Amino acid sequence: MTLFHFLNCALLTFGPHAVYYTATPLSEYDTIGTCVKAAIVYLGTALVKLICLATFLEVSDSDSFNPYQELLKALIGFIDVAGLYFALTQLTHRNISQNHKFQAVGLGWAFADSVLHRLVPLWVGARGLEFTWEYIFQGIEANADLVLNLSLAAIGSLMWLRRNKPKTLIPIIYACAGILATMPSITSYLRRALGWQPPKLVAFELSSSLVMAIISWQLFSACHRPV
Amino acid sequence: MVMSLTTYSILVLVLVLAVCVELGDAATAVDAYRLIQYDLDGAPYGSRLAALNHFAGVAPFASGVDLSRTAVILPLRDLNFTLLHEFITGKQQLGGLLFLLPQDTDNARKDTGPIRTILSKLEHLLIHANLPYPVYFAHEDDKINEVLPDVQRGDGTGQPASATTGGLELMTHSFKLVVSTSEPKKLSSPTITNIQGWLPGLKGDGTSQLPTIAVVASYDTFGAAPELSVGSDSNGSGVVVLLEIARLFSRLYSNPNTRGRYNLLFGLTSGGPYNYDGTMKWLRNFDQRIRESIEFAICLNSVGSWDNELWLHVSKPPENVYIRQVYESLADVAKELDVTIGIKHKKINISNSRVAWEHEQFSRVRVTALTLSELSVAPELLHNTGGLSDSRDSVDDTAIQKSIKLVAESLGRHIYGYHGRNVQIFADNSSLALNPFYVKSWLDLLSQTPRVAPFLSKNDAIVSALKKELADHTDEVNVYHETIDGMFTFYDSTRSTLSIYQVTSVGFDFVMLAIIGLYLIVLFTVLVIATRGFDELLLMIRRPPTRKSKAA
Repeated sequence: MTLFHFLNCALLTFGPHAVYYTATPLSEYDTIGTCVKAAIVYLGTALVKLICLATFLEVSDSDSFNPYQELLKALIGFIDVAGLYFALTQLTHRNISQNHKFQAVGLGWAFADSVLHRLVPLWVGARGLEFTWEYIFQGIEANADLVLNLSLAAIGSLMWLRRNKPKTLIPIIYACAGILATMPSITSYLRRALGWQPPKLVAFELSSSLVMAIISWQLFSACHRPV
Repeated sequence: MVMSLTTYSILVLVLVLAVCVELGDAATAVDAYRLIQYDLDGAPYGSRLAALNHFAGVAPFASGVDLSRTAVILPLRDLNFTLLHEFITGKQQLGGLLFLLPQDTDNARKDTGPIRTILSKLEHLLIHANLPYPVYFAHEDDKINEVLPDVQRGDGTGQPASATTGGLELMTHSFKLVVSTSEPKKLSSPTITNIQGWLPGLKGDGTSQLPTIAVVASYDTFGAAPELSVGSDSNGSGVVVLLEIARLFSRLYSNPNTRGRYNLLFGLTSGGPYNYDGTMKWLRNFDQRIRESIEFAICLNSVGSWDNELWLHVSKPPENVYIRQVYESLADVAKELDVTIGIKHKKINISNSRVAWEHEQFSRVRVTALTLSELSVAPELLHNTGGLSDSRDSVDDTAIQKSIKLVAESLGRHIYGYHGRNVQIFADNSSLALNPFYVKSWLDLLSQTPRVAPFLSKNDAIVSALKKELADHTDEVNVYHETIDGMFTFYDSTRSTLSIYQVTSVGFDFVMLAIIGLYLIVLFTVLVIATRGFDELLLMIRRPPTRKSKAA
């Protein structure tokens, strides 16, 4: 039953977003508007990134790792960060606490990212008769991505929304932000240059996202501790 | 209310679209050639179905297992004929049958002998059997060879332990063989095409009709897999001999000084396997004067793989003047080439519709004719017709060259009246020497072209090529289209793509659903506890009962 497999993978890929929304207080405070606005900002960011990629990147036939190209891709990846900044600071949100704001923005961002990158391959590929583990791995990746995006949104809100931060923590915050922003480049480096297989890659993504989430949680609570 | 109706209809539409399960990309897709399907006098033969969608299975099977939903894969290298006999004679219902032909690599070429015997035995078995399931041939390739051990690891039938429930062996893969094609249809009035070339002789004074000598070969084939029946020996060798003889005599006849006083008629006939039906129709269409002017006709049938002995088959008794003349001139040349020619006489039985040799069709219209062949015994209907086992390496170039020298030299001596004289007309290293490259290139071309007549259209490439070649060597070329006699009916769909999919059982999907559902529930509880506190969780669980009590 191939439709069954598609449903399984879709559930794995998009389920956690819905669960996160309903489980946390986000649903109580009705922050769906913020999520939708963040998703739209993500769409705009993705279009800008596409145009930049199309203009500056060369298309190569081989799947090898080209440092110069990857550097360019990483730089273009920072447009992501700019987009997140825009979503966190410039959009008008209803009166929701900062705690919930970054969660809603991160959730909307991650959901748009999953839908744009994973829905069509899932629809086209997972319904076929042939069985592969590929789409299950993609679903696990989507989970890791969600965690990463939430951490990035948390760090972002610390950087731009919080005025009084303990001085010692500032460099750590910026370092974390840097790592989170370049995570896509790191994974592509691992896949192409070192030739890691999907299971290993997915395991790495999961563990790194969990680690980063813990670090950013600690940072967040440290900054919000009454001084 | 309106909102919900539109969303509902959108949902239904999406669901309907989703349920059209597309097959998607398969891990392996190869070309598959179907076993021929034909009716002979109304009796069905061959594979009667074309579409295939079953699980793959490999021998050995447990005894008494039901194979009606399994497509059995039989590699040809170690074909188990007893098993195949059981399937066929026991009329066992299979889901499908797939034969794997060995790869066409250089290594394989060395041990073609045993494979060829297996192939010809298999072909004999299959074309006389009535198989109510799809039967395909495919070439082995690396991807299929990887799949085979996996299929064998199961219980042989390929079906998962239970296709519907249970089956918690998450790692067992089953493979499905799929050929998606439409139902095979009858070919309505398939055409056979006869090509003739006329090389007129030198007309002396007087208007009397010059005598004619005919050289005839049938060019079409018949085999178990029509797309693989290239018939290099039967009768590609005959066609090549005919073309080379035409080329040599056209050189002689192009100069009026060396033109002989015989007309030469070259005939490439079709419909050979079907009791030489094409030849009969070609002869019936002949102008009576031309037919009566034919002194004799030489028919060529399989002259490509002999060593020392050729046979001359006749239907008139060997004591007949003309027959003896031709035989002796052939024997003289044969002696010079260090080979022998035997003569075999087989009387025609008018009441029997079976025509074993092409010359018999000539004899039935009272034209003296004989067949030159390496076969000593008349072949049965649909045997020795250039099937699976008859490929390029079953022909020997030197044997063909010897045949060409034999026929050309003896014809030449007869035409120019050099009987008994020690003259070499087509001597080696002369301008009339036989061209081995010409022979090789035509043999290569014919060995790559399947030529089963019902599947050759009127303007098929090979028909046009043969017509053009004869036009180069002769003065006048005519092409005649006929339909095959009603005894045979053929069906289409000879070639499709076979896809092999790796599939999992429904049980596997259920297990995945359970795991994912569990994961989501755990995630939900963790998040609720982390963000709202444990009390909220208890509240959520207890809320539905309190609501119910409130409603009551």
